[in-house]
Amino acid sequence: MQAIFSNLALGMQTAMTWTNILWVIVGGSLGTIIGMLPGLGPATGVAILIPITFGMNPATALITMCAVYYGAMFGGSRASIMINVPGDASAIVSCFDGYPMTKQGRAGPALAISAIASFIGGTIGMLFLIFLTQPIASAALKFGPAEMFSLLFFALVATITLSEGDLLKGLIAIAFGLMLSTIGIDAMTGLVRFTYGMGSLNDGIDFLAIIIGVYAVTEVYKNFKDINAVYKLDSKTIGKVWISKEDWKRTWKPMLRNSPLGFLIGVLPGMGGSIATFMSYALEKNLSKHPEEFGKGAIEGLAAPEASNNACSCGAMVPLLTLGIPGSGTTAVMLGALMMLGVRPGPTLFTDHPEIAWGVIASMLLGNIILVIINLPLAIPLVQLLRVPTRIMLPIIMGLALIGTYFLNYSSADFIIVMIAGVIGYIFSKLEIPLPPLVLALILGGAAEQNLRNSIVLSNGSPLIFLQKPISAVFLVLAVATLAYAILKRKKQAA
Amino acid sequence: MNLMTGIIAIVIGGIYLVTAMLLPQMTMGDRLGPKLFPSIIGVVAIVAGAVLAFRERNPEKRSKKTDFGFVKHKSVWIKILLTTIVGIAYGLVMDSLGFLIPTTLFMLFITTLINKGRVVQNLIIAIAFAVLTYGVFAVALKLSLPRGFLEQMLPF
Repeated sequence: MQAIFSNLALGMQTAMTWTNILWVIVGGSLGTIIGMLPGLGPATGVAILIPITFGMNPATALITMCAVYYGAMFGGSRASIMINVPGDASAIVSCFDGYPMTKQGRAGPALAISAIASFIGGTIGMLFLIFLTQPIASAALKFGPAEMFSLLFFALVATITLSEGDLLKGLIAIAFGLMLSTIGIDAMTGLVRFTYGMGSLNDGIDFLAIIIGVYAVTEVYKNFKDINAVYKLDSKTIGKVWISKEDWKRTWKPMLRNSPLGFLIGVLPGMGGSIATFMSYALEKNLSKHPEEFGKGAIEGLAAPEASNNACSCGAMVPLLTLGIPGSGTTAVMLGALMMLGVRPGPTLFTDHPEIAWGVIASMLLGNIILVIINLPLAIPLVQLLRVPTRIMLPIIMGLALIGTYFLNYSSADFIIVMIAGVIGYIFSKLEIPLPPLVLALILGGAAEQNLRNSIVLSNGSPLIFLQKPISAVFLVLAVATLAYAILKRKKQAA
Repeated sequence: MNLMTGIIAIVIGGIYLVTAMLLPQMTMGDRLGPKLFPSIIGVVAIVAGAVLAFRERNPEKRSKKTDFGFVKHKSVWIKILLTTIVGIAYGLVMDSLGFLIPTTLFMLFITTLINKGRVVQNLIIAIAFAVLTYGVFAVALKLSLPRGFLEQMLPF
């Protein structure tokens, strides 16, 4: 326990510098704005804001990206509440009761409870994160290549089995991502693979270019259909952005019980904010004495998923920081950006660079407070941004995406990859091939292959090594179990 | 839809697997290494694609037809195509023309494509975007951006 507090104190030293506090404010505000815009979520936010982190030291870069991430979580529901259009998938549930509250003239309390619940969810999530990271990171330090491969295998399998959608299409997405990860010179033998004679591919495909392509350009293309959308916003009727005693009485319990649930879901790979929010909504509706009020402006129907969503984003940071394994699209983008800066999150981050690991954790605690301050008094001016038409926002996002691409290698040659990835991402979305598993596989592919090969060399060619090592065997059993669960669940749904 | 996805997976997986098989065998060290992982991936893609396509034989389980909307959303596809081409061209001219001019032109093109008929508004957005991003990245954050003749004339 004492170690945790001394680590946190070390983290506070990093987080409490003026530069880092400034970037938490800037990142959190930009994240709130991007999260708020219909159709754009945290992954797009982090992807297009990557260039501002270049030139920063790794701690500040990670602190800024985290601020963008949870800023987007705070902002995601603004559009749901005000105009019934979710900022991203995890804000869909906020439309259910948030918009009816606005129609009843209670937009002020809705915006307030959304910020308060996000704050409570985020803070509880952070507390879990603080107490969990060190033990997990310490355990992971003992992992050899076999354990690491099985863990990566489980993470990839879980990404498709725990999320919704077709298992086979998820598997195909993973295979495509892994294929892309093998292009270029093989680090272990120097052999050039899958470049088909193109010398520019020898260094491999820059995964950040693919990420910007599928998370920024594809999202812009998807929005081309609705470019003339202009949302009617009546900000005069918002009223006071605060909640009454009665509202608090109705919401404090739902916020407290859904935060741990959201956190747990966030830790699991593949289960993002959308699943957390839907589960929390369903749980509260079941527990409520007035389930008939849900969908008609019940404030707890908004508070519970909001708390759950922010706790979920804290949970998603656990595998990223402690194992170096992103469990969601947004954390995958963050991992990619960090690898560009020469930092590899994982258990060694806590031993080699504790100031970065704990600095980020401390900054998230701080950022939560800053964001609730930004989101309560500034709620009314912030929602005015929803008046900016989509047809103006999209070109700006496209421009930022391409400028970000330039900074990857200080070259505009990657524009080709980004633009093509954008089109392919759009076609995949039409074919309903999920993109997050592809991106995760692309990022984790190199490590998976290296650990697989090292394990096989260590065992003199025997694949049984993965079952002989107990921890590795546990991960494989978990992978099989989630697969069986997913197959059974889908069969049940089909029946 | 699933039939098409399955065929795409089989074709790409097939090409990939054949390429993996043709990789030279290493004579020492990690002999199977460079081929092992790609071979597994290729097989996974082909098998997943085949099962997906095979499932379409059952009319009850058949997925809905892929709706790319080439006809219904023709204008969307034209916009995507044009944006892609101009985005690539933007990258190609950036090194020689610098940042400000190509960025303004790119933004002007894309705003004109999306925000039709508002010439002055589009011009303001395009110029403001180029100047502001240059100010933030090149001047404030001191990140290097391509310098053409216009940038050479600037004091920063």
